[in-house]
Amino acid sequence: MPPRNCALCANARAMLKRPKTGQQICRGCFFYVFETEVHNTITEAKLFKPGDKVAIGASGGKDSTVLAHVMKTLNERYQYGLDLFLLSIDEGITGYRDDSLETVKRNQQQYDIPLKILSYDELYGWTMDAIVSQVGKKNNCTFCGVFRRQALDRGAATLGVDHIVTGHNADDIAETVLMNIMRGDIARLGRCTLICTQGEDTIKRSKPFKYAYEKEIVMYAYFKKLDYFSTECIYSPDAYRGHARVFLKDLEAARPSAIIDIIHSGEAFEVREEVKATQKVQQTCQRCGYMSSNELCKACTLLEGLERGMANSAITDRARKKLDAEGPAPDNLRTIPFYRAPSAAGPNASIAVEAPS
Amino acid sequence: MSSCGNPAVEAEALMSRRLKFDKSRSCVKCKTNVGNIVIRHAVYCKDCFTPLQTTKFKRSLEPSINPASASTSGPRRTKLKATGNLLIGFSGGLGSTVLLDLVSRCYISSNETVENVDGNSKPRGGTKHPRNQSVWMEARACYVEMCGAFPESGMRDRTDEVRKAVERYNGFEFVSLRIEDAFDSRWWASVGGRDQIRERDLGVDLSDEELLLSSLQHSSDSSPLAALQKYLSSLPTTTATQSSLTALTRLLLLYTALATSSSHLLLGTTLTGLSIGLISGVAMGGGFVVREEAGEEWEPRISGLAGEERRIKVVRPLQDMGMKECAAWVWWNGLEVVGKENVVGVKQGIGGLTKDFIVGLERDYPSTVSTIARTCAKLAPKDAAVERCVMCERPAQRGVQDWKARISIRSFNSPESEMSIPLPPHIQSAIPPPSHPHHSSFSPSLTPLLCYGCHTTLTSRSSRGTALQSKNLSKSLTDVIAPLPVWVSSRLLDSVVNPGGEMRDDLGGDAWQSKKMDVKEMRDAVKDFLLED
Ligand SMILES: [Zn+2]
Ligand SMILES: [Zn+2]
Ligand SMILES: [Zn+2]
Ligand SMILES: [Zn+2]
Repeated sequence: MPPRNCALCANARAMLKRPKTGQQICRGCFFYVFETEVHNTITEAKLFKPGDKVAIGASGGKDSTVLAHVMKTLNERYQYGLDLFLLSIDEGITGYRDDSLETVKRNQQQYDIPLKILSYDELYGWTMDAIVSQVGKKNNCTFCGVFRRQALDRGAATLGVDHIVTGHNADDIAETVLMNIMRGDIARLGRCTLICTQGEDTIKRSKPFKYAYEKEIVMYAYFKKLDYFSTECIYSPDAYRGHARVFLKDLEAARPSAIIDIIHSGEAFEVREEVKATQKVQQTCQRCGYMSSNELCKACTLLEGLERGMANSAITDRARKKLDAEGPAPDNLRTIPFYRAPSAAGPNASIAVEAPS
Repeated sequence: MSSCGNPAVEAEALMSRRLKFDKSRSCVKCKTNVGNIVIRHAVYCKDCFTPLQTTKFKRSLEPSINPASASTSGPRRTKLKATGNLLIGFSGGLGSTVLLDLVSRCYISSNETVENVDGNSKPRGGTKHPRNQSVWMEARACYVEMCGAFPESGMRDRTDEVRKAVERYNGFEFVSLRIEDAFDSRWWASVGGRDQIRERDLGVDLSDEELLLSSLQHSSDSSPLAALQKYLSSLPTTTATQSSLTALTRLLLLYTALATSSSHLLLGTTLTGLSIGLISGVAMGGGFVVREEAGEEWEPRISGLAGEERRIKVVRPLQDMGMKECAAWVWWNGLEVVGKENVVGVKQGIGGLTKDFIVGLERDYPSTVSTIARTCAKLAPKDAAVERCVMCERPAQRGVQDWKARISIRSFNSPESEMSIPLPPHIQSAIPPPSHPHHSSFSPSLTPLLCYGCHTTLTSRSSRGTALQSKNLSKSLTDVIAPLPVWVSSRLLDSVVNPGGEMRDDLGGDAWQSKKMDVKEMRDAVKDFLLED
């Protein structure tokens, strides 16, 4: 077959087949449509306003590495007027984060964006290595996920930022839609396709890549020669991968638009009003002030279990009851520092906390 | 994201495998008999199974029969009276076999000698007793023969086998359709549609993403069967073929229900089948109509033979019975299932993949299917529907094409979108708009009249599908224009022939204002192709 011309500009040679649309296009057009779609996502949702301080949750993996690059590019091209920061979490997994944190540090220099690294050790008094030595490998991802979410918010609060952007991509979101339907998690199903979520006193969180295909993120990194680490957590290779992920890949192979079609579905429906009324109200954790659907937030529950040597207490209800039966938490229990969101601390508080270097 | 951010991880705790059945071996209902079947962790004996399933069936169906039946007070049975006749969609498969049997036992044969569910063979209180008056005056079972859709697979015509299966029951008239009837103007007239002049039939260019409409030039073989096969072979994916056949069947049944003055169309969708339909519907972009998947009320655009306005309720009374319970019902009652033939390639489509996935999950996590159905029952469309899709005649939402154009840019001068996209830096001069060799520059497009799902069906390609696309490039106009189902072309032509008709109302309001096509443009354009006056 003779070389084909780009289906978009018609004057350069097609270099790639776009995973999202199947179109054969040139490299220049690929960068352009990829970035423009992210820009469209941002502007349509009115995510930012000039002067916003925005932290990019940076793990050194492909999603956040490309996100940092694209945010920097769009901020300059379209004059968003954003103050960008990189925010990394060090889970304390030997041999896992070391390399990827190097990537983040390099990004800091390349893009001239200030970086903040916050460690689990610093925040919770436990590294993931220490947690795994106590709970084993089976449930460690529960700990990691819960701890990371809070860590990002807390890191953002120290930086005094208004907004965290994360690298969740279209594949992640489509998979979440399917999982939430299959496990009947109606509350999360209603939330998971939102581009931006904000609890009453948590920092805004957005997903500018919500329509970006994982394959295209990889392709973008490849053509732009961005280096990243394939952040396969060393503790999770045998963890439950999710039937949903395999299923989604099959669907994508059958019809590439399936990923975007699932997200479209998720955006088209909502939880019925009658059902909404029965949902749990958000409250704040009595111990640490973070948002929670129970008296104690998940992180505090997990931490208490760890401290009392009953680490699985938060994994199942039965184990939690057993923990409660052992009596109340001792006074000298190590806890997470009390959380104050910038918005909750009154006007201008976000600037007062700690000026970025 | 890294694997620790994997949203699937949290599911582990929730989706833990449970024992397949409780420790006790005796029936949970009567506590005496030895259990014969495990239904979602509970054991039932054969004696308790029948009333249990019958109750579930009635509980799903009866509240939708008439407003009085939906009230919870008083005995329901005496109040059951439908406003029209009954149509059962009968495929000969497991679910519809059980459905026909249950409908016959519970509502049709109570005056006959066939033993009814209560075990007595004579109606109590005499036939004049309200309990024994028919809920529906007439009952029909309608079968749609699919073999015409698969000319190469050598699928056999099973109409006669299915007819025999239906004739085993008293009180049902057998209605026989063929899938190609969807392209047959005589069938369309027979259900009350207006008989259009054949030469005016519209077709759509499915080789091009813009879905431009053209007049259909009739070749020597313009039979409905040829039209169906032409349509199916023009579709871009296996997924599209399967979902189109499902949609065609659904509309054939609905219009048949209309023509037979039926108030209810019952389908034999099992709980398993419903979950598969829900998940594959979501995967094909049908989130907006997730409720219709479980049950819908359809208002026809045409008034039907009787001439009166009607609404048809589509009910799936087996939606609380799993595939396994249906199989047990068939087995213990000695029913014969005609069955469906396997079609090659089905597994590669989204429908087939979803079926494999759900059936596999159901084996390991028996509550998954009911969770899916329960979750989807808690959902509602986010926005009000602004229109009904011409293809599937289900509610459609606003702004679908803009959404698509925003998040997957397919052209730097997209005619469907209001957005202007600045050119990329490596492009110096303006890009000429794509040329459409087969069409005049003002050809109207089918796109703005389609829902998200139907538009995706007709346009979304897989990497496997591009062969078809390039193959079509060299074809002439007559080759690339695919015929449209009769209800689609009828509606498009109605608006052209009869500009005061409903389509202008549909298109002229705010709803579609931003779209490319308005009625006048469309009429001007189509005129060049179609109108002889
Ligand atoms: Zn190009
Ligand atoms: Zn807490
Ligand atoms: Zn029993
Ligand atoms: Zn449709």
